[in-house]
Amino acid sequence: MRFQVIVAAVFWSGFVESRKVRGISSSYKRFYKERKSFLCIDGSKIIPFEQVNDDYCDCEDGSDEPGTSACPRGRFYCTNLGFRPHYIPSSRVNDGICDCCDASDEYNSPAHCQNTCWNLGQKERAYVEGQMRTLDEGLRLKQQLIEEGVLLWREKQAQLRELQQVAEDLQIKLEEHRRRKHEAERLKEQTLKALEAGDSGLRHQNRTETSIFQLLDSNKDGSITVDEVKTKVVLVHDEERLLSEDEALGLLGGGHQIDLTKFRRTLWDVLTRGDSVKIKDTPGSDDPHLEAADKAAEWEATNLKKVEEAYETVNMEISDLRKKLAIDYGTDWEFLFLNSQCYKLKVYEYIYTLCPFNQVTQKNTAGTEVSLGSLSISPHIHQPLEHISKVLPGQLSFPSEEVLPSAR
Amino acid sequence: MASFTERMVPVLVLWLAVCLAETWAVDRGNFKTCDQSAFCKRQRALKPGESPYRALLETMELTNTRLTLQLINDNNKVRLLLELYRLQGNITRVKINELKPLKPRYEVPDVLIREPPTEPLSLLSQDENGVVLSLGSESQRVIISARPFRLDIMEGSDVLMSLNSRGLLTFEHLRMRKDTFSYKVTSTVASVWDNIKRVFSSQADPEAEKKEEADPANQAETTKEEEEKVEDGMWEETFKSHSDSKPNGPSAISLDFSLPGVEHVYGIPEHADTLRLKTTENGDPYRLYNLDVFQYELYNPMALYGAVPVMLAHNTQRTTGIFWLNAAETWVDISSNTAGKTVFGKMLDYVQGSSETPQTDVRWISESGIIDVFLMLGPTPKDVFSQYASLTGTQSFPPLASLGYHQCRWNYNDQEDVQSVDAGFDEHDIPYDFIWLDIEHTDGKRYFTWDPHKFATPKEMLQGLMDKKRKLVAIVDPHIKVDSNYKIHNEIRSKGFYIKNKDGGDYEGWCWPGSASYPDFFRADMRAWWASMFAYDQYEGSMENMYTWNDMNEPSVFNGPEVTMHKDTVHGAWEHRDVHNLYGFYVQMATAEGLIQRSGGIERPFVLTRAFFAGSQRYGAVWTGDNAAEWDHLKISIPMCLSLGLVGISFCGADVGGFFKSPSTELLVRWYQTGAYQPFFRAHAHLDTPRREPWLFGPENTALIREAVRQRYTLLPYWYQQFYHAHRTGEPIMRPLWVEYPQDPATFSCLNLFVCSQVWFDIHTFQKHNGAQNLYIPVTMSSIPVFQRGGSIIPRKVRVRRSSTCMEHDPYTLYVALNLQRTAEGELYIDDGHTFNYEKKEFIHRRLSFAKNILSSVNLAPDAQFTTRSWIERVVILGASKPSKVTLQTAGEYSQLEFDFDASMSVLTLRKPGMNAGADWTVMLQ
Repeated sequence: MRFQVIVAAVFWSGFVESRKVRGISSSYKRFYKERKSFLCIDGSKIIPFEQVNDDYCDCEDGSDEPGTSACPRGRFYCTNLGFRPHYIPSSRVNDGICDCCDASDEYNSPAHCQNTCWNLGQKERAYVEGQMRTLDEGLRLKQQLIEEGVLLWREKQAQLRELQQVAEDLQIKLEEHRRRKHEAERLKEQTLKALEAGDSGLRHQNRTETSIFQLLDSNKDGSITVDEVKTKVVLVHDEERLLSEDEALGLLGGGHQIDLTKFRRTLWDVLTRGDSVKIKDTPGSDDPHLEAADKAAEWEATNLKKVEEAYETVNMEISDLRKKLAIDYGTDWEFLFLNSQCYKLKVYEYIYTLCPFNQVTQKNTAGTEVSLGSLSISPHIHQPLEHISKVLPGQLSFPSEEVLPSAR
Repeated sequence: MASFTERMVPVLVLWLAVCLAETWAVDRGNFKTCDQSAFCKRQRALKPGESPYRALLETMELTNTRLTLQLINDNNKVRLLLELYRLQGNITRVKINELKPLKPRYEVPDVLIREPPTEPLSLLSQDENGVVLSLGSESQRVIISARPFRLDIMEGSDVLMSLNSRGLLTFEHLRMRKDTFSYKVTSTVASVWDNIKRVFSSQADPEAEKKEEADPANQAETTKEEEEKVEDGMWEETFKSHSDSKPNGPSAISLDFSLPGVEHVYGIPEHADTLRLKTTENGDPYRLYNLDVFQYELYNPMALYGAVPVMLAHNTQRTTGIFWLNAAETWVDISSNTAGKTVFGKMLDYVQGSSETPQTDVRWISESGIIDVFLMLGPTPKDVFSQYASLTGTQSFPPLASLGYHQCRWNYNDQEDVQSVDAGFDEHDIPYDFIWLDIEHTDGKRYFTWDPHKFATPKEMLQGLMDKKRKLVAIVDPHIKVDSNYKIHNEIRSKGFYIKNKDGGDYEGWCWPGSASYPDFFRADMRAWWASMFAYDQYEGSMENMYTWNDMNEPSVFNGPEVTMHKDTVHGAWEHRDVHNLYGFYVQMATAEGLIQRSGGIERPFVLTRAFFAGSQRYGAVWTGDNAAEWDHLKISIPMCLSLGLVGISFCGADVGGFFKSPSTELLVRWYQTGAYQPFFRAHAHLDTPRREPWLFGPENTALIREAVRQRYTLLPYWYQQFYHAHRTGEPIMRPLWVEYPQDPATFSCLNLFVCSQVWFDIHTFQKHNGAQNLYIPVTMSSIPVFQRGGSIIPRKVRVRRSSTCMEHDPYTLYVALNLQRTAEGELYIDDGHTFNYEKKEFIHRRLSFAKNILSSVNLAPDAQFTTRSWIERVVILGASKPSKVTLQTAGEYSQLEFDFDASMSVLTLRKPGMNAGADWTVMLQ
C-alpha cells in the first residue's frame, strides 16, 4: 500500500514536472521553478507547488494555472515553435477549438488539432518573402519612378523655362510687330490721304477720250471689243451686274469692236452723259503706291495676329505647366507619373474612373455618368488613397504604396 | 429555490428612476380607440344592470362529464347553449354559444394541447331558482341562478368568482340583413316552406311533432322575434380610408366576471404597461389585437404585437385565473371598488372594520366567435400556472445555446461583416452564441433566399461560425413577395395557399418587399408545406447551425387598416376577423415544425416570434418588438416580460440597447446589465442607427459589457435548469415577487421595496442582507444589484468561454446560500443541450440540498441515463461557519477536502471536491 503511494507520488511528480511548463513563456519560467511552494505572481498567496496547473484556480491573478482553463483571468502561452508565439485567454484552453498552431491549447479535448506551425511558418515566411520581394520590387519601382519623376520634373522645369524664353521672345516680337503694323497702317493712311488730296483733279483731267480708250482697251490692240466693254463698263444703277452681250454690242454701236474714232461717237458719248453706264470703279487699282501700302498693312496685321496667337498659346502652356508643377507629387516626385493616368474600377453595377489629381466619375450600366468631384492630392502619400476609398462604397482594396506603381 | 432574476426588479427601479420622459411616440390616430371600434363601442354602451338572460333549468342535461343548459334572452328570445365542464386540476370550463346559430361560429382550434380531460360533476341541489353542483372533493360548488342567469363559484361560504353578476353577458346572434332584397325573399320562402313542412310532418312524423311540441316556446319566440334596431357599424364599418364589409353582421360577445376580495389583477399581455393592471373606467379598455405598432407608447392599454387572453387575480388567500379562449379582437375592461381609495381610506376601512370587501370586476368583449372560458381556481400561483399549462402546454425547452447572448442588428451587411463582428467578439473576449441577419440578407426581401452579392456563399459563412461553435439566425417573415420569378410565391399561389380577399382573389398588401401576399397559416396543409421549406435541400444555404426569426406576423400590412390585414379577408370558412390573433401563433408553429423536421425530429428548434397568442410558449421565444433607446423602455421591459411569464411565455426579452434611436453609452451598458438577467438576451438596432457592437464605446464600457455578458454565461447552468423546470411545470422563469411571497401584500404591486423574512446575498460581494426591510443599494456603473436568496443553491460554470457550446464539459461551482435555518436547496439539470433525447430520459436531474451541515446530491430521475464529463470544481457556502474538517463521500469512498474560510463574510469555499456532476455524493462539515 505504502509502496503504491510512493510509486504514485513518483509518477505524480513526474507528471508535475512535465505539466508545469504548459502555457508559460520562457521569460516567465523563473516564476515556476520547481519548489515546495508557489507564490502567486501578484504576491497574494502561497500555495503548494502541486497546485500549479492542477485545474483549480487558487491565485486571484490566475498565475497558478497558466496551462489550464481554470482561472477566469488567466492566459496561456502558445509556444508555436516554427511560427509566432502568442498568448490566448485561458478560456480557450481545451474548448474544442484549435487556437495555438502547435495544438498545445487542446491537450485534453475531442478536437483533433494538428501542429500546423511549420506550415504556417512556411507560409508566413513565404508570405514575408513575397512581401519583401514586393517591397523590393516596389522600392525599385519607386526609385525608378523617383528618377523618372525627377527627370520629368526637370524636363518640365526646362520646358517651362524654355516656354518662358519663348514667351519673352514672343513678347519682343510682338512689340516689334505691333510697331510694324502700326507703321504700315500709318503709311497706308498717308498714301491714301495724298492720293485723295491732289487727285480728285488729276483723275478728272486725265479722263480724256484717249485715256479712257486706253483704259478700256485692256489688250492694247487699238480697238475695244465686246468682252473688254463687259469687263470695264457697268450700269450706273447696278454696278454688280455684268453687261449682257447685247447691251455691250449696243454700247459699241452694233459692232463687235471699235477703234478710237468710233469710240468717240458711241461709248464716249454715253460715258460722258454719265446717266446710264460708267467705267467700273477701281480706285487705287490704278494707283500702284496705294496698292503697295495697302498690301503692306495687311501683311503686318496678319503677322501680328500670328505672333499674338503664338504668345497666347505659349502663355497657356506655361500656366498649365505651372499648375501641374504646383501639385505636390510626394517628397521625391514619385507620384508625378500618376498625373495623366486614369484607373477604372468595377463595383457591382458601377464603373468608377479615377484620375489622380483629376476627376473621379461613376458610370452605371445604363451609361449614366456622374462626376464625384476631383481627386485632389495632398502632401502625404497615403492620404490620396484614403481619399479614394472614402468616395467609394466599402470593400475596395487599394494597392499599397509599394505595389501601386505596378498597377501601371 | 426560485429565480432571483425578479429580485433585481425592485432595485433596478432605484437607478432607473432617473428616467427621461420624451414626447416621441406612436401615431395614435393610426389605431382604433374603443369608440372607433363599432362592436366595442356598442358593447361598452351597455351598463351593468339586470341581465336579460334567463337559464331555462328545464333544458338542463347533466352527464358524468358535462352540464348543458339553455339560456334565453328575454328581449329578443334568442337562445344560447351553456356548457359547463369540470376539468382535471381544479379548472371549470364555461362555453356559451348560440343554440342554433345561422352558421357555425368560430371555435379556436390548436391552442389547447388536447381536449381537456374532465372530472365528474355532481348535482347537489336544484329548485326553480337554480342548481348547485359540486366541483369535487374540496368544498367548491358552482351555483347557477336562473333569473337572471348568473354563475357563482364558491368555496365554503366564499365566492371565488361570479359570472354575469353585473348582467353584461351579451351575444350578438347571427342574423340576416333585413334591409336587403335577398333577406326578404329568403325569409318569405323559408316561412312558406316551414308551413308546408309542418303540414306534412304532422302526419308523417309523429316524432318530429313531439319534438316541436316539446319546444313550443321556441316556435312562438322565433316568430315573434323583436325587430332589432340596426346601428351604425353593424353591417359595415369604416376606419380612416379602410372599409370593413362585415357580410355576417354583428357577432360580438361579452361577459363579466366579478372577483370578490381581489384588488390585484395581472396578465392579458401584450401591453407596454405596469405589471399590475389598472382600472379602465376613465379610459379605453385593455385591447388585445395583434398589431405592428410603430414606435409604441408606454403606460397605456393600446394593443401591441401579441395577445394572450389570460388574466390572473391574486390576494393573500388565493390566486385564480381566467382564460378567455377567443382569437378575435378583444377588449378587457377592469374596474374596482377600491380603485381611487387612498391608502388612508383603506386603512380607515380596516380600522372601522366596515365597508364592503374589495372587489375587482372584469369584462371581456370580443368581436366574434363564442364564449369559451376556463376558470383556473388555483389556489396558489403555482397551481394556476400548472392549470394553465395543462390547457395550453408549457414553455418549449430551448437549445442551451439560445440562452446565451445574441448579437443582432438590422443589418449585418454581408459575409465579411458577419465575419468581422464574429472576430470582434473573440478579440474583445466577449462570449456570444448567435449572430442574426435581418431582412437585408435576402435577395430583395424574398425569404428563403440570399442576396447574391452580399451573401454569395452562406454555407461558408455558417461553417466559419460552426468552427467557433456559434450559430446564426436568419429572418423569415410571412409576407411573400408577389413576383412570378420567386419560387416560394409561385408554389403558394399555385397551391391556392394564399389568404383570399373578400372577392375570392389572392389578398395583396404592402410590406417590406412591396406588393406581398400572405400564406394562409390556418390551413394544416399550408403549414406542412411551409415546414417542408426549411429542409436543408429546400432552403438553399441553410445548415444545422442556422435558426429562424419570424417577424411581422401580426400580420403587418403597411397599407392595411391599423397596419394589419382587412378583417373581411377569407380563410376558408372563416373571416380574418374571427382568427386574427392566431396568425402569428401559427406562423411560429409551422416554422418550429420545419426546424424539427429538417433534423429528422432530433434537434430542438429555436424560433423567435413577434406576434403570439395563448400557447405560443410551445414554439419558442418572443421579444417585446420595436422598442426605443430610452430609459423608460429599459424599465418597461421588466413588467412586459413578467406579464408574459405569468401567462406561460417565459422565453421573453427586449431589444438590448433599444431598437429605434441610439442609446447613450450609460443606457447601453445598463441595458446589457439588465438583459443579462432576462430570459432572452439579444441586442438589436435599427438600420438608421450608428453601429453599437459592445467594443465601440471605449475600453471601460467594453469591460462593463463584457462583465455583464460573462455573468450571464456563468449562470447558464441555472438558466438551463430553470427552463427545464418551466418546461416541466409551466411556472414562469422571471417572476414577480408575489409569486414567491403570495401572502405578502407588499409584493403585490411590486414597488421599489421588498419585504420578506429572508436572507439575501449579493452574488458579487457575498454581502448578506436581512429581509423585512427597505433596502437602498448604492450602485456604480459596474454593479448589477443581484441577490441570491438564502436557502437556495445555484450551480454556475465560471470558466466563461467563447460560446455556451465551448463550455459544455466544464466543471460546476455550487453556490450554497444558507437561510436562517441554515438549510438550502437547489437543482442541477444536465443533458446534451440541443436534442429531444431528454424526452427519452437521457439527462441528469439532481436535487442538491444542504441541511444539518451536510450537502448532498440526490438523483431526482433514477430512470434517466446520461453521462457528463463535468465535475464539481468548487463549492461556495454563503453564511457558513468555520468547520474543522470537511469530508466528501462518493462511490463509497471518503476523502478530506481542503477549504478556505473567509470569516469577515462568513464564506466557506471547498477546494476542488472533484466529484462527477452526475454522481451521488455527500459533503459533511464538521
